This record gives sequence, C-alpha cells and structure tokens, in this order.
Amino acid sequence: MIQHGYELDFSKQTFGVILYGAPGIGKTTLALSDGNNGGDTLLIDLEHGVGRTNPIHRMNASVLSAATYEEVLSDLNTPEAFAAKTIVIDTAGSLVDYLKDWAMRTKSDARQKNGAFNGLKGFGYVKSELESFVNKIKVVMNKNVVFIFHCDEKADKDGNPIQRLRCEGSFRNTVWTGIDFGAYIQMIGNKRYACFTPEDEFFAKGCHGISGHVEIQNLTEETSNDFLQKLFDSARKNMAAENQGVEERMTQYKGVIAAVKEMVEGVTDADTANSCMKAIVSMDHALTSKKEAGKILNDKAKSLGLRFDVPTRSYVADGDKK
Amino acid sequence: MKTRITKTLLDSWAYTFDCYEGGEEDAMNDFIRTLNREPIEENEAIANGKAFEDLCFRIANGEKVYEEKLAGELIPAAVASEIIEPNTGEPKIIRSYPKWYNGAKKIADIVEGGQWQVHVDTDLTVGGREFWLHGFCDVVKAGVIYDIKFKQKSFGGLDLYGSYRNHSQHSAYLRCLPEAYEFVYLVSDGDELYTEAYTRQTCRPIEDIIQEFMNWLESKPELLKIYEEKWVVDG
Repeated sequence: MIQHGYELDFSKQTFGVILYGAPGIGKTTLALSDGNNGGDTLLIDLEHGVGRTNPIHRMNASVLSAATYEEVLSDLNTPEAFAAKTIVIDTAGSLVDYLKDWAMRTKSDARQKNGAFNGLKGFGYVKSELESFVNKIKVVMNKNVVFIFHCDEKADKDGNPIQRLRCEGSFRNTVWTGIDFGAYIQMIGNKRYACFTPEDEFFAKGCHGISGHVEIQNLTEETSNDFLQKLFDSARKNMAAENQGVEERMTQYKGVIAAVKEMVEGVTDADTANSCMKAIVSMDHALTSKKEAGKILNDKAKSLGLRFDVPTRSYVADGDKK
Repeated sequence: MKTRITKTLLDSWAYTFDCYEGGEEDAMNDFIRTLNREPIEENEAIANGKAFEDLCFRIANGEKVYEEKLAGELIPAAVASEIIEPNTGEPKIIRSYPKWYNGAKKIADIVEGGQWQVHVDTDLTVGGREFWLHGFCDVVKAGVIYDIKFKQKSFGGLDLYGSYRNHSQHSAYLRCLPEAYEFVYLVSDGDELYTEAYTRQTCRPIEDIIQEFMNWLESKPELLKIYEEKWVVDG
C-alpha cells in the first residue's frame, strides 16, 4: 500500500531507546514503563535483574530468561513475544556476552586453541548476528526496543568524569544509529532525570521534541510506571505535527530539484546558463533546494568551460571578461 | 578589517587543548601551520579518507565499482564448464568488490541524490570584529548536511559516540546554511556505519566558539598578527 506523506498515521510508530546509568538508578523499572496491561512489555532478562524491581511496577511485563542465545531466539518466536509492544534487552552488554558464547560454540574459528574467544574472527560473527537480531525485533516484529546498558565512569584527559556504555565490540557505537532516544539516567539533587541532550559528561540523543532533562517521577504503590508510554505518546504527537510541515516542504523540494535538473539539461552556453540562473533564483524554494540548484547549475557551467564572474554576477566563457 | 574563518582553523586550535597526552607540541605546531595557511602534507590517513569518500561518491552516482570475472577464469579450464549457473545455463560471474565497499555502500545509500562539495558561507560580526565564515559541505540533501569521516581503526576499539560534539563543523555549517535543519556525521571504518546528528538546538552557536578563539588569540599578539595578515579577506 502506498500512502501520501500527509496520510501517514504515527499512532503506532515504534521507537528505539537506549537507557544507561549507574547501578541502582532504576534503569530496568524505567524500561518497563510502556503499557498498562500484562504482556505489553517483554523483558529479555539476561542478568536476572528483574527481581530487583518492585512487582507492582512490572505488572505489564513478561520476562524471558534464557541460558543461551539460541534460547533467546527461540523464545522470541512465541506468541508472548509477538503480543508485546516493547522488547527490553537487559543488558545489551550481556547480549554481546551471550553472542560471544554462541559464536564460540557454533563457529570453529571463533575459539582459539586454548579455548579463549578469538576476538578477530569472533566479533565478526557477533556483529552480524546482533544486526540480524535487532533487525528482527525492530523491522520484522515492529516493536519498540529498549537497550539497557550499564555505565562505566571514566576520566577524560583533564580528569573530568565521562560516562561510557559498558559493552564489548563495536555495538556501543553502532547502536546509536538505529535508535530515536538515548538517555543518561542520573540523580540531580534528590530527583531523577532522563537526560536526552548530550553534555560534556555523557552522550545522549533526543528527537521529535524530546530533549533536555526530563524528570522521572518517583514511583509509589499508587503511581503507575508509565514514563516510556508518555514519552512515546508525546513523540508520536510531535511527529504527526512535524510531518504536516515537512511533507509539504519535501514535496516542494523534490519538485524544485526535478525542475532544475530539467532546466540545466538545456544549458549550452553562457546565455542559457544565465537565464537558468535567473529562473532558479525566482523559484519557490524549500529546504536546501536553492543551494543544491546552484551547485547543479555550477557543475554544468564548469563542464561547458564557463566560469562565474563575481563582479557581474553572471556566467561567462572562461577567459572572457564581460 | 574582515578576516576569514573556517572549521579547519577552529578545530586545529581546539585540538591543541583536546589532543592525546604528550601530543601537545605536535598539535600546537599543526595549528601554527594551519594559521600560516601552509599546505597540509598528505599522509596515509588523509589519502585513505579521500579514497573512501571517492568510493562513496562513485557508488552514490551509480558507478560500477566492482570487477566481474567469469568463475572459469579462476580455475583450471578442465573444470570450468562445471561453473555454470544451473538456473540459467550461463557461465557464473564472480564479483570482486573494492575494500571498504560495505561501509561506503551504507553511506552512499543515505546521500544518494544529494549535491557534493557544496560551498557555504556567511558574514558574521563577533565581538565587534567582522568575519567571513566559509567551508565545503561533503553532501547537502533535502535540508540535511552530511559529513563523511573515515576511521582507519575498526570501531570495536573506539568509543565514538559524542566524539564530534565539540567539533566546530556542525555549528559552522548550520550557521552558513540556514535552510538546513540538521547536520549528520557519517562515520565508517570501511565496514560499519556510525552516525551522529546535530541540530541548532543541540549545538553551540558558532559565534561563541569564534569568540573563545579570538579571546585566546588576542592573548597571544604574535599569533593574532599572523591571523590578521594571513586570513584577511581581500578587497
């Protein structure tokens, strides 16, 4: 089914999230905060940490515990997994450890003679399997996915603290590409915040109007654990609003670029280049179309041996003075 | 007097504070060479960066970057007839892709259709001084400025996220091209892709960075003199 951009429905838009922070800050409880019904969230509990969350605040979750990566994969094909809106990986660093174990057992060259992991070969297998695992959850199953990471505090060159994701291999970098929100969870005074804008001490990512420090409500037995649910709802509303303006501008942008390419085809000398330039200037531009149109014309002019004469603001044959 | 200012100059200066431990002298010498507008010597890292960007460009423009060989050419003729596609009966073709193809293809897919090496500029007044800020965007496409970075080292050993936050490039280019709403670093080690995106809301105003640079330069009159001589805008 092909839809126009303005017809798109964002009410079921799914998101990728990174949550990281110090031990005990409440990352797992926060990750379980999308949905009100049992089974709305599937927690892949690779560190057996769910017991540390308050049962009242994990009422919406099913828990997947597994001894091996193969068991995780098999459990992902169950009706419970397909019914969930959100899948939480607790923690992404442990998932990489599970994958290392899987690679060592199933790929002969991922294990050295002394039985240790062969990083050179092994991380290649881990990387491609991880890519397909995440792809399955996000694209095939179309779920929200929340990656929990432990956090290592390190010192920068000047001795200031910097917070780093605890995870072996390249996933701690590439994971940022496919996610929408990345929050560092921290206490400021006696309040807890999810920080979505990068600072010197930590990296973060926000979009669709979610940015800065967002306070995390202290949970009691009477309050509901709904931080991510509210965050996702807010992002979906913002996306719908953003889309109205963007779609219009994108359509206009594409129209302008197509028209410019057609006009530039007809440029054969300085006169036609100058006429084309005038036409480009008078067009109703959108986004970066004016700049790009200028570049398209300039490339064509150069290929014809023309140069732009700054004083007269016009194209002339190279070597001519107008 | 109006002087020109670029992200290369600002980043070269910033690196004197941000360089690896023990590299301070080299960083300062590099900055002074940049300040003197001496041409940068091409080293392996620069050459590889250019080659990688060129590969991205060629793929994005639909160029055939791989070589094709008949499988039979690679093995003794006696068994060549066995290398036939069973479904078509045609000789089997083996493609040979250039190194870094995987990473370059990921970037090419993003920037395809955009304009390459787009010059952007703007006039600024900072602290009573006039500047001409300018530079070249690797790619501009539909409101987004892309910058391609090549890492010689595999991503596995690096902590990349956030590493571009203090660069002046996104602040500078978003200021030069007000119609763009986002600046994205596309970073590859030739295999994987890491992206880091900035908007005007998440980057420092370039005026603040220039002001800091000028405050520092004004405290070093001999360097300020070089800057005013070598970076003056003609006419």
